[in-house]
Amino acid sequence: MNRDKVKIVLIEDSPADVEMALDALKEYHLANQVKVITDGEEALHYIFDECAPGREECPQVILLDLKLPKVGGLEILQRIRSDERTKMIPVVVLTSSTEDKDRVQSYKLGVNSYIVKPVEFNNFAKAVSEIGFYWVLLNKPPY
Amino acid sequence: MTLPALRTSAGINLEDYTKAMLNILEDSSHEKERLEEMQRAVVNILEDFSGEKGRLEGTQRAALNIMEDFAAEKGRLEEVQRAMLNLLDDFGMERERTEAANRELREAIDSLRRAKEAADAANRELESFAYSVAHDLRSPLRAIGGFSQMILNKEGATFNPETRRKFGVIQENAQKMGQLIDDLLRLSRLSRMELNRSHLDMTRLVREVLKEIQVAEPERSFTIQIVDLPAIHGDAALVRQLLANLLSNAVKFTRGKEGARIEVGSVERSGEHVYYVRDNGVGFDMKYYNKLFGVFQRLVSETQFEGTGVGLAIVQRIVQRHGGRVWAEGKVQEGATFYFTIPEKERE
Repeated sequence: MNRDKVKIVLIEDSPADVEMALDALKEYHLANQVKVITDGEEALHYIFDECAPGREECPQVILLDLKLPKVGGLEILQRIRSDERTKMIPVVVLTSSTEDKDRVQSYKLGVNSYIVKPVEFNNFAKAVSEIGFYWVLLNKPPY
Repeated sequence: MTLPALRTSAGINLEDYTKAMLNILEDSSHEKERLEEMQRAVVNILEDFSGEKGRLEGTQRAALNIMEDFAAEKGRLEEVQRAMLNLLDDFGMERERTEAANRELREAIDSLRRAKEAADAANRELESFAYSVAHDLRSPLRAIGGFSQMILNKEGATFNPETRRKFGVIQENAQKMGQLIDDLLRLSRLSRMELNRSHLDMTRLVREVLKEIQVAEPERSFTIQIVDLPAIHGDAALVRQLLANLLSNAVKFTRGKEGARIEVGSVERSGEHVYYVRDNGVGFDMKYYNKLFGVFQRLVSETQFEGTGVGLAIVQRIVQRHGGRVWAEGKVQEGATFYFTIPEKERE
């Protein structure tokens, strides 16, 4: 597909949301550096097999939806944070859930940021492109 | 005297005879004394017997008395025993009745508990249903709005005005559905969240909320009258939401009205403060009162006044969460008044 290095791992099961997110990430020319994963189990395989820091594939941010097939977002977050190899990877939860318990639990597990997907497309697109800009272009990762 | 004569004729001398007679007499006299003595002794014995007899009779009488007493006592004891048996019977019956009543009470409590558990479970299910419906509805909604926007962004410049208008309708409706979902979520959350009560200055709260509404609709003009309102002990965020919904309704439904007027006040009725928000807007028909506070129920056409039909349902839920009451009066084209009470403490 492309030879660009993966900077963003997008774990999201809604194809429409994926397409809109990729569209939004074009704003800062980041769309070619995204690895999309649509299933929680596959996400765990990818993160622990491909993306331990030091490897080529280690992303600058993981965008994580909470509602995923097989393995939910909160469990993925917990697994990432409890493994020495992956615990420093910046993780941003990007979800439809406005539930207090999801938000609080995410922070307890050590999420770097919690973003509620705006319902309206323009706001959604803006949020995603800003997240990409901030975590990939502005923020310096620990590794 | 036959014997001495016999003796005399046999030749016994008189002197001897006399002596013998005297001896006999003497003997007889001794005998007599002995007899008398014996008699006295017998009499004494008899006397003794008679005393004894008296004593025996006394004892017997006493024994009889005692026996009579015993009989009477026995009668009384039997009576007491009968009374006690009766009491025990009564107790027994009473106990049975009490046990029956207890059983009924326990059964009633059990069935109440089961009903409450079922209601709680149904509530939880309903909440999680509302929650997941709301969240699952958001995603396709964003896609509808998003993909039409992506088309507009790329090719909008080449569209004719009618196509552009139709895309606008799609997006408007997507937005409206988003609003519906938000309201529904807010309503569902209202039943779950804990109340955080504090002392609230109602007059200040009403002024703040009105200011926000006026900022959002600077072109609207209406006269507003706020009578000094007694303070409330309630959840600040929820009471603010309650006032925002009632006041924005009042502002909305007086739109286009000459001399639009909104009045906020309170009256004291049977010891509690009744707050009210009154307007002279389009009002409503009391015939449809039962739909007024229903979810997604609207009494006015959407072409005339926008809205999702959740506002008053939220008002009602907030008041109920505080243990209060809400009601309304209205007349078509003459206005509406909404009343509510918020008791000092929850009745739980």
